[in-house]
Amino acid sequence: MIESHNTKGLIFNVQYYSIHDGPGIRTTVFMKGCPLKCLWCQNPESQRLQREIFFELEKCTGCGICVQACSEGAIELFEGRSRTNRKKCSGTGRCAEVCPVEARKIMGRSVTAKEVFEEVARDALFYQRSGGGVTLSGGEPLAQPRFAVSVLKLCKDAGIHTTVDTCGYASWDTVQQVLSYADLVLYDFKHIDPAEHKRYTGVSNELILDNARKIYHELAIPMLARVPIIPTYNDSADNIKATTQFISSELGKNIKVHLLPYHRLGETKYERLEKMDLAVLIEPPAEEQMLALQEIVQSFGLEAVLGG
Amino acid sequence: MNERIAKLKSNLQLESFPLCIEKFKLITQSLEETEGQPEILRRAKSLARVLDKITIFIEDGELIVGNAASKPMGLEIDHDYGPWSEEEIASLKDEGYTISAEEEAELKVLNSYYKGKSLVGRMGEVLYEDERLWPFMQSGVLFPPWKSREEGSGGGYAQGGLGLAPGFYLMGVDFAKVLNEGLQKIIAEAKEELKVLKFTSANAVKKCYFLKAVIIVLEAIIRFAHRFANLAKEMAAEEANSLRRKELERIAETCLRVLAYPARTFYEALQSFWFIFLLITPSPTAAAGRFDQYMYPFYKRDIEEGRLNDEEALELLQCLRIKDMQLNRISGKLNRQKNEGMAKWHNWTIGGLTPEAEDGTNELSYLILEAAKRCPTPHHTITVRVHEGTPEDFMLKALEVVKTGIGMPAFIGDKSYIEYFIRNGVPLQEARDYIVTGCLDANLPAQSRTASIAMFIVPRVFEITMHNGVDPHTGKQLGPRTGEVEQFTCFDEFMAAFKEQLAYFMRLNAERNNIELCAMKELLPDPVRSSLMSDAIKEGRDVLDRVMPFENGAVMNPVGMINVADSLAAVRKLVFEEKKITMKQLKEALAANWEGEYVEMRQMCLKAPKYGNDDDYVDLIARELYQYWAEVTGTFDTALGGKHLPTAISITAHGPGGALTGATPNGRFAGDVLADGTMSPMRGMDLNGPTAVIKSALKINQDPYQATLLNLKFHPSALKTTEDLRKLSCLIRTYFELGGKHLQFNVVDKETLLDAQKHPENHRDLIVRVAGYSAYFIKLGRAVQDEIIKRTEHQLTV
Repeated sequence: MIESHNTKGLIFNVQYYSIHDGPGIRTTVFMKGCPLKCLWCQNPESQRLQREIFFELEKCTGCGICVQACSEGAIELFEGRSRTNRKKCSGTGRCAEVCPVEARKIMGRSVTAKEVFEEVARDALFYQRSGGGVTLSGGEPLAQPRFAVSVLKLCKDAGIHTTVDTCGYASWDTVQQVLSYADLVLYDFKHIDPAEHKRYTGVSNELILDNARKIYHELAIPMLARVPIIPTYNDSADNIKATTQFISSELGKNIKVHLLPYHRLGETKYERLEKMDLAVLIEPPAEEQMLALQEIVQSFGLEAVLGG
Repeated sequence: MNERIAKLKSNLQLESFPLCIEKFKLITQSLEETEGQPEILRRAKSLARVLDKITIFIEDGELIVGNAASKPMGLEIDHDYGPWSEEEIASLKDEGYTISAEEEAELKVLNSYYKGKSLVGRMGEVLYEDERLWPFMQSGVLFPPWKSREEGSGGGYAQGGLGLAPGFYLMGVDFAKVLNEGLQKIIAEAKEELKVLKFTSANAVKKCYFLKAVIIVLEAIIRFAHRFANLAKEMAAEEANSLRRKELERIAETCLRVLAYPARTFYEALQSFWFIFLLITPSPTAAAGRFDQYMYPFYKRDIEEGRLNDEEALELLQCLRIKDMQLNRISGKLNRQKNEGMAKWHNWTIGGLTPEAEDGTNELSYLILEAAKRCPTPHHTITVRVHEGTPEDFMLKALEVVKTGIGMPAFIGDKSYIEYFIRNGVPLQEARDYIVTGCLDANLPAQSRTASIAMFIVPRVFEITMHNGVDPHTGKQLGPRTGEVEQFTCFDEFMAAFKEQLAYFMRLNAERNNIELCAMKELLPDPVRSSLMSDAIKEGRDVLDRVMPFENGAVMNPVGMINVADSLAAVRKLVFEEKKITMKQLKEALAANWEGEYVEMRQMCLKAPKYGNDDDYVDLIARELYQYWAEVTGTFDTALGGKHLPTAISITAHGPGGALTGATPNGRFAGDVLADGTMSPMRGMDLNGPTAVIKSALKINQDPYQATLLNLKFHPSALKTTEDLRKLSCLIRTYFELGGKHLQFNVVDKETLLDAQKHPENHRDLIVRVAGYSAYFIKLGRAVQDEIIKRTEHQLTV
C-alpha cells in the first residue's frame, strides 16, 4: 500500500492522556467511518465516513444565522430552534463557524497523516516515560487503510509505540498491510455467534474470527481482546464462555481479556446527530454481573480485566 | 477507623461553633497590668497568663491532649488583628456561631482597650494619610480592599490555638530540637546567655528582654503541660473503666515529662509535638515541617524494641488529625471570602530528598498517608515531596489517598523547589531540607520565614490599563497615564503599557508589605516561635527583628495572571493581528459586559487561544508575564532586609477577586470567578486534556517562584485501577522532572457535587481541594462551589 505524509483521512477526535487504550499514557486518534452498525454503538458520530453536524438543541437560540449561512439549504427554523435536514447536509461546517452560541459543532476533520502525526508527537515525552504511544481507534481504522498506514509508519519511524483498536472486519490484505505497522492490536469480540453477530452489527463474524487467527498466528502481533458487555445483547454467560473458549483455544492463553461495561455517555450523541430513532435505551451492567463474567473468563486461565 | 477514632471524629461535627473570649480576657488583663514594660516582655507575660489560667480539659477517649480553645471546638476571639465590630459579630451569629449575651457585652469592653493598638490600627496610621497608598488599599487591586482606617479589611480572627501567633507567618520551627533536647535545655541556654551578656550596645538591651521573654514563655509551657498531668491524674482516680484509667495514667506520666525533657518514645514525641503546635497556632499557616523525618527515630526505636506496632502508631496519627481539626478558624467577613470553608494550611511535608541526597521516604511516611485514608478529615493537609528516587510504591500509596477524593496529598517537585533556594544562594544540602509552609510556599526549617503575603488581583490592573490608569469602577486616576489604548498601533505598545501599570502597582504592594512588616515587628513579637529558630539564643532577637539565614520576609503573589494572559492573547489576535475588532469596540463590549450586540464578539474572544492547550501563542504570553512579575518583584527591598521574592498561589482570592473585576477580553463576564491556582487554565478552557495543561505550565519558568499551584480535576473513572494510578504517577513525575512545582487533584464526579449543593445534609463529609487546602464542600460559598464544579474534568471516555 502506498503510504504518504500527505494521505488524507477523516478523524473526529484526538484524545490525549488516554489511559485505557493500551499500555502507558497514549493519544487515541478516533477515525471516522465504520463497516459495522452495532445497535448499541456508543460513538454514533464515528459511523459515517463523512463530516456531520453535532447539534445541541438546548443551546440554540433560533437566531437563524445558520440558515442563511448554509449553502445547501439544509437548515430551517422549527419551533424556535434550527433543524437540519441530514439528507441535504454534506457537512461543510459553515453553520458551525457562524453559530454565535456554539450550538453547532462539526464532527469530522479532514487531515493529512503528517498533521495527525504532529498532533500525536506533541505528547512524545509522556510516551517515553510511561511506555505509551498512539492508538488508532474509531470508527474503524481499517476503513481508511492508506491513511492508517501512513500515520502508523510516521509514528513508528519516530519511535512511538503503535496500537490499533479494530473490529477486524476488513479483507485480509488490508488487515495485513495496516497491522504490519502495529506493535499491539486491541481486537473486539462483539458476539461469538455468527447469526447474532449479524443481527446486532449488520455483518457476520466469520471474517472477523478468521482475521483474528491469522493476526495472532501469522503476523504474531501481541493482542488484547476487548469484549463490550451490552446487557440483553451479548452479556449472557454462554456468550462470554464461548468467546473465551475461542480466544483461549484458537488464539492463545496469554491474551488478556478486557470486559468493557456498556456506559450511557453515547446516549446524548444520538440527540445531537438528530438520530433519536436509532438510540436504544440500555441499562449499564451491574458491578456483580461484571464480576461474574470476569470469573468466567478467569476460569479458562485467561487474565480478565474490567474496563479499559 | 476504630471505635475511638470514630467517636472522636463524630465530636467534630457540630451544628454551631462557640465563640470564646477567655484567651482575649486573660491577655487583656495581663497587658493592663504590664502597661509601660517592654513589648516583648508584656507579650511573654500575657501568654504565660493564658497558659496558667485558661480552662483545660481532656475529652473522653483522647490519647493526645491539649485543648485548642477554652470550649470544645471553640474559637477564641483574637485581638491582635483588630477589634471585632458589632456588625462582624452579628454576621458570625448569622452563620451559626454562638456567643452568650454576657460574653458579647464583655467583648465590647475588651475591644475598647485595643483602639488603634491592633495591627490594622498601626498599619492604618501610615496608610490612611497617604494619598497614593490609601486609594490603592481601597481599590481591591489587593484583595480584600480596606473598608476603613480602624477596621482595615474588616474584622480580625477567631480561632483555636493558644500561642501569640495570629499571623499568616509561613515558617517551620525546629521541632526536632524540642523533641530531642527538651525545653529545659533552651531555658538553660537562655539563662547562661543572660549571665554573660555585656551591655555594650543597644542590641544587648534588646537581647536581654528577648532572653527573659523566652524564659518566661518556655517555663509557662512546661507548667501548662503539668496542668494536664494533674488533670489526667485526677481523672484517672475517678475513672471506673480500667482501660481508660491506664490511658489517663499514661497521659499524666507523659505530660509530666515531655516538653521539659527529651521525648523517649513515639507517643511522648507526638504529645510534645502537639503542645508546641498549639503554641505556634492560631496561625492558620502553622507548619509541621518534615514530620516523617524528625519523628522517624522515635517510631523506629519503639518498633525495634517492641513498644509499638503499626496499628497503634496509626491510631495515634489519626488522633493527631482529630486534634488538628479542633483548631477551628474564622475571620472577618471579607477575609472569609479569601479563604473559605474554615481555611487553614497546617501542612505536613513528607518524603523527598534528605540533605545527603538520599530518599527520605520511610515507614512513617506511608503511615501518615494511611492515617489520612482511614480518618479522612480536611486537616491536617499533607504534601508529598517527589524526586527521581521517590519509590513508585509510595507514589501509588499517595494516589490511593487522592483517589478517596479528599484532595490530598498534594505533590511537589523537589527539583524546582530546590532550585529556588539554590538561585537565592542557599547551599545545596540545606536547600534539600526545605519544607512546605502555608499551602505551598517553601521555607527552610528554623532558618527562614515569610511574614507578608498579599493577594494581588492582576486583572484589576489590566482593566486600569485599558482606561489609561483610571479605575473604571470609580473613575479615579489610580495608576500612571500610560496612554489611551485606542491610539496604540501595535501589540507591543499595549504590552508595554500594561507592564508599566503592573510594575507601578507592584511597588505599592511592596510598600504596603513593608508597612505591615514594621507593624508586625513592633506589635507582634513572639518569643515562642522565635526561640525555636536556628541560633535563637545566640542571636537573641525576635524572628521578625533579625535577618534570617535565608531571607524571604515578604513575597509578591499574583492572582488571575492566566486571565490576563488569555486576555492579552485575544487583544493581540483580534485587535492587532487580524483586526477583526477595534480597541474602541472591545472597550464598549467590556463596558456592556458583552450584552446586546456584543454576543458575537464574545464568541470570537472565547475562541482566541487559551492557556492550557499547549498553544505557544498564548502560553508564551503567560511565560512572559510570570517572568516579568518575578523580575520586578526582585527589585523591591523588604523592611526585614533582603528583597521581595515571587510566589504564585491564589487560595480562594480568585473568587472574590473576580467579583471586583469587570468583564475581560478572554470572554469572561464581569464579576465571574478568575482562574484558580496560578498554573491552572481558566476553567473549561483547556480542551486537550491534562498533558496539554502540563505542557503549557512547563513553558512558564517556575524556578524563581517560592510556590506555584496547579489543580487538576479527574473523574473517578481515571483512577480506578493500579495501572491508572501508575500512569498518573508518571504524569506527575514528568511534570516535576521538567520543572513543574506542584500538582493536586480533585477526584469526585460532577453529579456528586451538584447533589451536594441540592442536598447538603447528605454530604456533610464531602471534602474537596480548594487551593492549597481541603475543605468540606458544603461549607464553601456558592461561587467557589460553582467554580470547583466547572473546573475541567479530565474524563477518559469519549
